[in-house]
Amino acid sequence: MNTNRQMSGGERPADANMQNVAFVAETVPCIIGQPALEEKLRILADAAKYDVACTSSGVDRKGKEGFLGNARACGICHSFASDGRCISLLKILMTNHCVYDCKYCVNRVSNDVVRTTFTPDEICQLTVEFYKRNYIEGLFLSSGVLKNPAYTMERMCETLALLRGKYRFNGYIHVKTIPGAPDELLATAGYLADRISINLELPTAESLEKLAPNKSFQTILNPMGKVSSTIAAHRLAIGKDARMERSMSNRYLEKNIFQSARLAEKTGSVQLPAPVTGGELGRPFAPAGQSTQMIIGASGESDYNLIQTTQRLYQSYDLKRVFYSAYIPLNEDADLPSLGTAPPLLREHRLYQADWLLRFYGFEADELLSEEKPNFNELLDPKCDWALRHLELFPVELQTASYDLILRIPGIGPKSAGRIVKARRYGSLTYENLKKMGVVLKRAHYFVTCGGRMMYPIPIDEQYITRQLVGTNQRENWQIAHQNGARQMSLFDDFGVQLMS
Amino acid sequence: MTIFTCKSDLTSMMTCIYDAWASRKGHGNIKLLREPVFQQELFDEYIHVEGDEEKAEKVLRSVRAKISPTAYIDVLYAAHSCEEDALDTIYRFLVLGFAYGAKVSSMLSYPPVMRLMELKRNVGNEAHFMHEFTRFTSIDGKVYVSHIEPKNDVLALTAEHFQDRMPSEYFLIIDDRRRSVAVHPRNEEFYIRYLTAEEAQSLSETEQITDEYTVLWRTFFDTIGIKERANPVCQRNLFPIWRRKHVTEFM
Ligand code: SF4
Repeated sequence: MNTNRQMSGGERPADANMQNVAFVAETVPCIIGQPALEEKLRILADAAKYDVACTSSGVDRKGKEGFLGNARACGICHSFASDGRCISLLKILMTNHCVYDCKYCVNRVSNDVVRTTFTPDEICQLTVEFYKRNYIEGLFLSSGVLKNPAYTMERMCETLALLRGKYRFNGYIHVKTIPGAPDELLATAGYLADRISINLELPTAESLEKLAPNKSFQTILNPMGKVSSTIAAHRLAIGKDARMERSMSNRYLEKNIFQSARLAEKTGSVQLPAPVTGGELGRPFAPAGQSTQMIIGASGESDYNLIQTTQRLYQSYDLKRVFYSAYIPLNEDADLPSLGTAPPLLREHRLYQADWLLRFYGFEADELLSEEKPNFNELLDPKCDWALRHLELFPVELQTASYDLILRIPGIGPKSAGRIVKARRYGSLTYENLKKMGVVLKRAHYFVTCGGRMMYPIPIDEQYITRQLVGTNQRENWQIAHQNGARQMSLFDDFGVQLMS
Repeated sequence: MTIFTCKSDLTSMMTCIYDAWASRKGHGNIKLLREPVFQQELFDEYIHVEGDEEKAEKVLRSVRAKISPTAYIDVLYAAHSCEEDALDTIYRFLVLGFAYGAKVSSMLSYPPVMRLMELKRNVGNEAHFMHEFTRFTSIDGKVYVSHIEPKNDVLALTAEHFQDRMPSEYFLIIDDRRRSVAVHPRNEEFYIRYLTAEEAQSLSETEQITDEYTVLWRTFFDTIGIKERANPVCQRNLFPIWRRKHVTEFM
């Protein structure tokens, strides 16, 4: 192993060409059965691509001399892949060997695929070299289960310790923990990474048991609870609020799901034990919080079930994000949709929209769906849908309405709502200056008055407005359902912009 | 109408504001423009203002003290805007700012305030794009070089970001449009200077450098997209073709 090659702050060898010689000697295919680095990367990125989370957000950290990297709370996206999804992190599996047999997964033990494993140094070198070229914000490390959960998690921790220690990497790390790994290793991972996550995979214990026979709700929720208590304890210890920061806009909301949550009671306050290593680096424990992911469309749950679970996860475990992944059939299995079934992209899109409503708009799951109406409207986004069921609240007078109510107007996001509230303090609003302030009224104008006037003389009539809004939504819906993955685009249209003020 | 004109560096612009103000010709009778001025009007009077550190500092100091630190940042961002009306907008914003104090930043229904915020937003957004899409190539693992072509003058903002991100690397960021370069020596503050024609020429090839990691990155990039979700339209919307010019994975 060439120790002097990659350290950003360490001494560089005098002859840079020597490095290249060393590199070639080390990575060209040599050992039998071990593919070259490029081939490994292809296999292990390909196996990791179904994981949705690729954000590098949630923590601000300045750079420091002798180290490589910093972190920005807003997250930085570096590219967009052919499916339109953002690339922010080097998203790879440590290995695609796996002793488990989750039915929905390509890497399951019963599949015959080419298997390989990165060495810790290979992962570190890829990370720092990609990082210096500004390809990525950091590393997203996940893994199949190699031998057993403890062994796998230990290898992952070893890799992260190397990256933080020898390679002096100070950028973003998201680590996925292995269900069933010992608590000490979970603690270690938390001290080395910025975000830690464990995939719930499916929203109910029954589905999980059926589709992931080696996993259980216990082996997932138990560590999730401990991680959450440990994060809370560390936040308190450094003088922060126990709960994660949420969007600024939530502070102006009189009511939101995070306030009504009772964290400690629900999760118990069992914390993780001391870490095996990593603690000595003096890093905070998972400062960017934890997240999880659920697969959509592999099992029979309703949208209502999914967003209730989502809300519960936010409230009980203070998760920073819940991600959804439209199921893409990869395996032939009687318990799963057949091969060739299109991934439910529009449904996934609706769930993300609902997730934003829970996190930024002060909505609760029960306001959006119910036992009687368990699934989202295909034609309308959840907010329009909600507004049309509550026409008695509209039109809203922008000059006087509360921030909470303005935020519930279809087409108005936290940024616009904030600008409206700010601007009206110093003068009366007109449609003209709303437009100049960048407030888009395409959907909103059916629901508002400004100075007592509607923008166009239209009736507040459910049938009429529904037809209009469905028209507005149609093109977008069609794109999402048929052209694949347009959700990122519209998320950016609707909400994403607020992240880059 | 009297038109005050100046170069487009910060010192000149702030001096221009100082002189225009001190001229006491009345805010309505003057206009501030950065050079080159393309269409001179026959009956207007043109006054060129030369940059003066002291005057510029006075203006910036009063913005911080008499308006607010926020307004100061907003003005700095707007000053880097490529829009023709940027300087004049800053002037109009300051007229309001010195009258109303800190609350000027919330007076969004006033056109100069709204416009200033818009300019600031554009500059901030473009700087953010640079944080995302700037790509470095490595010269023998010693120096990292990148080329950018921003519309607004965001070189300093960009270099500041990378200085924090990799304080112990030697790197250059070259603004091809303005032929300026931010030079960051290892563990030191970066500085900006202009490139001579020869320098620009010899640095222009650095983008073509290919090494193990450019190859590996392209492999990763091609692999990570899910083909069942392929969506070139969405990719193009989020990462427009014109922004890809200096981006390794599209070269
Ligand atoms: S544990 Fe299950 S989901 Fe994870 S890699 Fe193994 S088979 Fe796939």
